Amino acid sequence: MENEEKLMTGEESLKIITEMINKTKMNIRQSSFHLLFWGWLILFCSLSEYLLLKLTNYASPWYIWYLVIPGVFVSLIYGFVNGRKEHVHTYAEMVYMWTWMGFLVVAIVLMVYLNLEKRYDLIPPFILLAAGLPTFVSGFIIKFKPLIFGGASFWIFSLIAFFGGPSVAPLTVPVAMLTGYLIPGYMLKRKNGHDTV
Amino acid sequence: MTQFKDLDPLLHSQLRLAIISLLMGVEEAEFTYLQTQTGATAGNLSIQITKLKEAEYINVEKKFRNNYPLTLCSITPLGRQKFAEYVKALRNYLNPDQK
Repeated sequence: MENEEKLMTGEESLKIITEMINKTKMNIRQSSFHLLFWGWLILFCSLSEYLLLKLTNYASPWYIWYLVIPGVFVSLIYGFVNGRKEHVHTYAEMVYMWTWMGFLVVAIVLMVYLNLEKRYDLIPPFILLAAGLPTFVSGFIIKFKPLIFGGASFWIFSLIAFFGGPSVAPLTVPVAMLTGYLIPGYMLKRKNGHDTV
Repeated sequence: MTQFKDLDPLLHSQLRLAIISLLMGVEEAEFTYLQTQTGATAGNLSIQITKLKEAEYINVEKKFRNNYPLTLCSITPLGRQKFAEYVKALRNYLNPDQK
């Protein structure tokens, strides 16, 4: 930038404002890591539970879901460590992060409620319903249509899980992971060539 | 009609306007980020940041990260208000017929 005291025209002022505001658009470097990490983790847990249930006599196939607990820590540590490396935090990034933190709280509360009530059948539709919102909102924040459609697909699979019956419901979660996280995640990763995932 | 002189002189300077415009969209920004985005020299940027800080348009926080000094800048409510007034005055100046 040139000498600060140089006299500017009104048009120059407007140009500087527009240029600088455009530079503060959200940095989406981190986004694809979380989408791919959670997409694969939940896909693995849901498919494993389904296969253990169908193919073995193992009494508690849902134990596999305990993998989600270290997963939360991996995600939080990754976000924290990489967040510290950034030289700037935009409002869009803050909204993005807190939307997902809000979802984490909602998901934990839902799991506690449904487990206390022993309504395990309602876990897939309710979690998909809740997960649709941060995914949908994130798509709008980073202006990325595949993620917006991914979030909407969670709601469709939530309906299928709720009304589809016990033969269909267990498969809605792995399929939703493909449409909601993995496909948008890989598209986002490809779009952002600097991604280090 | 808005006159050119009505534009806030503190904001009507290339570098200071650039700093404030950048800070409008972020929660806080490091000195190095502002330097990269504006392309200014460290000395010049430092002088302009001090002027904006003295006018209470921005907050400047000095910390340490891994034993290295870290300067964080953020816009104050007064800074936001002055920026909004500047943009309004600029709009009136550029389009005097529009209200």
